Amino acid sequence: MNLATYARRNLFRRRGRTILTIIAVTVAVLIFCAIRTFIVAWNAGADEAAADRIATRHKVSITMQLPRHYIDELREVPGIQAATWANWFGAKDPKERVPFFAGLAVDHNTWFDVQQDMKVSADVLAAWKQTPNGAILGDVLARALEVQVGSRLVITSDIYPGDWEFKVVGIYTPVRKTVDRNTLLFRWDYLNNDPRAVYSKEHLGWMVSRIAGSADSAALSRRIDAKFESRDDQTMTMSERAFALSFLGGFSAVLSAFQWVSLGILVIMTLILANTIAMSVRERTHEYGVLRAIGFPPGHIFGFIVGESLLVSLAGGLVGAVIVELLINHALGPFMQDNMAGVFQHFFTPGWVVAVAVGAAAVLGVVAGLIPAVLASRLKVTDALRRLD
Amino acid sequence: MSQGEPSASIVTLSGINKTFYRGKEPIHVLENLDLDVPGGSFEALMGPSGSGKSTLLNIIAGLDRPTSGTVRVAGEDLTKLSDGQLAKWRSQTIGFVFQSFNLIPVLTAAQNVELPLLLTSLSAADRKTHVETALRIVGLVDRMHHYPRQLSGGQEQRVAIARAIVNDPKIIVADEPTGDLDRKSADDVLTLMDRLNKELHKTIFMVTHDPSAAERASVQRKLDKGALQ
Repeated sequence: MNLATYARRNLFRRRGRTILTIIAVTVAVLIFCAIRTFIVAWNAGADEAAADRIATRHKVSITMQLPRHYIDELREVPGIQAATWANWFGAKDPKERVPFFAGLAVDHNTWFDVQQDMKVSADVLAAWKQTPNGAILGDVLARALEVQVGSRLVITSDIYPGDWEFKVVGIYTPVRKTVDRNTLLFRWDYLNNDPRAVYSKEHLGWMVSRIAGSADSAALSRRIDAKFESRDDQTMTMSERAFALSFLGGFSAVLSAFQWVSLGILVIMTLILANTIAMSVRERTHEYGVLRAIGFPPGHIFGFIVGESLLVSLAGGLVGAVIVELLINHALGPFMQDNMAGVFQHFFTPGWVVAVAVGAAAVLGVVAGLIPAVLASRLKVTDALRRLD
Repeated sequence: MSQGEPSASIVTLSGINKTFYRGKEPIHVLENLDLDVPGGSFEALMGPSGSGKSTLLNIIAGLDRPTSGTVRVAGEDLTKLSDGQLAKWRSQTIGFVFQSFNLIPVLTAAQNVELPLLLTSLSAADRKTHVETALRIVGLVDRMHHYPRQLSGGQEQRVAIARAIVNDPKIIVADEPTGDLDRKSADDVLTLMDRLNKELHKTIFMVTHDPSAAERASVQRKLDKGALQ
């Protein structure tokens, strides 16, 4: 036997209460990880945005469009290696097989020169250039829409009226896990030439530029915006990451609220743990008095209590980590990717989130035990001996 | 276990006063008390409830400090020791026997007896030897792997006595050691304490309400209203 034997045996003195407390910590860790996973997954596109790309949109709002000739003027700015553009189409699946996906009308001549994290073969690109209504899809979207290369695809839009018919000419390959595999790309000229898109005629939604690796993106952005400063349609240029975040728009407040909720969960966990430990200490005050009487110093009593709190929280944290791995990374994550790829391209709990959760459980376990431990270790021996359950 | 002949005073209390406060009202529990306990004696302290018996026992055992006066036990002036030093001193000098046994319910008899030894530098093997010796003295070596709930009250108290003697203390203080026991078990415990005193020459200072228990001691003292009669 050693001192840890006593601390360990104490763990299951009130088996039901300890198990319930461990479950509470487990649930707290699980919720914390789920919320953090959601936030990480939501921000994944922005977090992994290419550092060598900047985006230019209308200064007033992403929903306002820019004249087409802006792209030619943008390409003249020193430091811009390549530039392309896109319009938001507001694509919808009339059969509602996919709840949400991105449909973009893009410049077929330059899109893949700039968006190099989406790959297509030369044959696919050639076919696209020869097919005005050609569309290139992500593999997840193609599977959901039940189409393959050569298929006819009809979708609708919440911006432009009627049915829009496309011919699938290829499937793009993402080079990173966080690249959306749920996007539909079709030719901007197909949209521009359609009378139903008269509102967008000769206008583009936003421009994306690839810049030299050594370029100062902030200075370049300022130069671009200065170029259009005196026009009716002024621009706002930003890093691709900032652009991706601006898409989240008002949702950032919800994400921020989620961050606070995840911290609140940890506080609740600490209070539950502190309550359990306080009850245990209260029940054992007399016993601690006996230990003090036979010579155990206050530090040992402190260690027994904090150690017990740490063991409970760590047990809950580790069980929670295992459940996170099984539930999120092996069940929910693949399901989300297959069914909600438009929103979550990569729904997995990163190792650092699990480590933070388990670490926080351990640290808060110690914190939860601190006050009962200090009080118990400072109690006079004679007072402790007089205290009965 | 070390042995030695009864000798000079092992406990010397001089001018002990102990005052508690209920709100602002002082309660004088011990007043100008002097006490001399020779080494190797078996003393019983009797007195009505509230007379200060347990307070006196606590002061001798280094669990409490007097308001004034000097306490010299086993050659140490306890009033000069810090709380940490007192804890260490208690672990080496005093064996405690409580009325309600106070065994740790999640530990076996052997583990309960081993507890005081965890504060020493003894190896696990040496601790085991000490534990078996202590349990053999109290006649419970065959119950060493039993938990307190699996023992009778008398056996629990004998395990508590084994825990009190396992680190070979000079003094055993016992607070109503037979208070929770039936007559037969009480007799067994008192016989055991008598043996510890006579054979191992442990100084025993016992607080009791029970006159028949007090009769087993070699010296009986009475405490009333904070003063020894």
